[in-house]
Amino acid sequence: MNGTRLSPATLLAGAFLLATALSGCVQPTIDQVRFARTGPLGDQSVVILSRKHKTQGETENDFISCVSDHVAAGDDSLSVLAERQFVDSVFPWFEPRTAPLTMDKLGEVIAEPLVGDRIRDIGVRYLVWIEGTTERTDQAGTVQCTVFTGGMPACFGFLSWEDASNYEASIWDVSEGIAVGKVTSEAVGTSFIPAVVVPIPFIARVQPEACTNLSDQIKSFLGDGSEA
Amino acid sequence: MPVRVWSVAGVAAFRGAGFAPALCIATAGVALLAALGGCVGGASVTVNTTVPSPLVDPIPVKMAVYFDDTLTSYVHVEEVPDHGEYRIDLGASQVPVFERVFDAMFQDVTRLGGKAPENDNAAPFLDALRSSGANVDAVLAPTIEEMQFAIPAQTKGDFYEVWIKYRMKLFATDGTLIADWDLLGYGKANSDNYGSVGTEDDALGDATIWALRDAAAFLSFYFPTVDGVREWLEGRGLGA
Repeated sequence: MNGTRLSPATLLAGAFLLATALSGCVQPTIDQVRFARTGPLGDQSVVILSRKHKTQGETENDFISCVSDHVAAGDDSLSVLAERQFVDSVFPWFEPRTAPLTMDKLGEVIAEPLVGDRIRDIGVRYLVWIEGTTERTDQAGTVQCTVFTGGMPACFGFLSWEDASNYEASIWDVSEGIAVGKVTSEAVGTSFIPAVVVPIPFIARVQPEACTNLSDQIKSFLGDGSEA
Repeated sequence: MPVRVWSVAGVAAFRGAGFAPALCIATAGVALLAALGGCVGGASVTVNTTVPSPLVDPIPVKMAVYFDDTLTSYVHVEEVPDHGEYRIDLGASQVPVFERVFDAMFQDVTRLGGKAPENDNAAPFLDALRSSGANVDAVLAPTIEEMQFAIPAQTKGDFYEVWIKYRMKLFATDGTLIADWDLLGYGKANSDNYGSVGTEDDALGDATIWALRDAAAFLSFYFPTVDGVREWLEGRGLGA
């Protein structure tokens, strides 16, 4: 029967289309704690920063970029200054081994006239310190693929894995010298690939989900500052 | 009849969105590694960078800075068992980094260059200072005493790490040693932030840049508090 045999390229293309169309389940959890009111941002901006003083568990650069991009996008967008631009502007006060770890230390840093003036000059109102990572927490199974004579590939088996994201954002008001709140975003998702000739992946987009949720929560927190 | 078989027991290659592209890349990678017979690894990094101008109050002194040729041509070469040769060329960054830092730290800076001293206690800059005719209060001479690095395979962690140990010497213009101290710079780069192609060079290069920034940060912060320097500054009426 002509037309019933699929070429390897067709099978791969089909698997790729399925991969983009299907996704595994992600269970997100978000939470926030407000310590103080937040004022209107006006023409000032927010900096999204990662903590770099630890030797393990450093937040991924692409997660910081993702949050920065999301916070700066949409109808409720906030003005965001890039992390590198900020740390270069105030060098050497926010380097991995010199950045203030507590609000008291931040108070001492911004009390330095050179630093306080520079932060005011570049128009930064809020520092959002992000800590956390996405880790693989479990994985199991195997997929075995073969190529038959004639170039026909086929895969058999089952793969699954679980990823967990856990991020916390501490929000500091530089102009007031106070911590105004914390926002957390957790997400857990299981991805799996059943393969009977053609592997069909169900990918749980755990980190992107955590990024979107944390970003939306930061925008909501800073955009709706009336709740004390 | 199957002619080739491969299996995927792990899932590290499938963190992205598509299984098919990942499978193709993984297969190609395995084939390439097999073709190379395991002869991969090592890195060669040339670091050519500077740092931002430090935000510190300049100290009102006229300082000469002596960059000897061992500093400006410094290259660290190390063989890591089972991972090949690693070569990190730091020399080109030394003058741009230190000039940026010293220009911010001191009211007036004169740059001197020349050969390294034949023994540790010599003041190597005297000829250069004399021929420059510069009127300065003291001379700073940085040298790299030691450099180390670690790759994730060695530490079983996620980070490429770099340590640079400088030896800083402050001389009076007659060659008398005023103070000498170690300045340590530490930098790391998370391997998770790099793709699979060119990882070693990029990550090691970035870790080295962070180590240079760290050394620059600590030098600009803590220079006035170093033993010997503090007394020298106090003697000039510049104590904290």
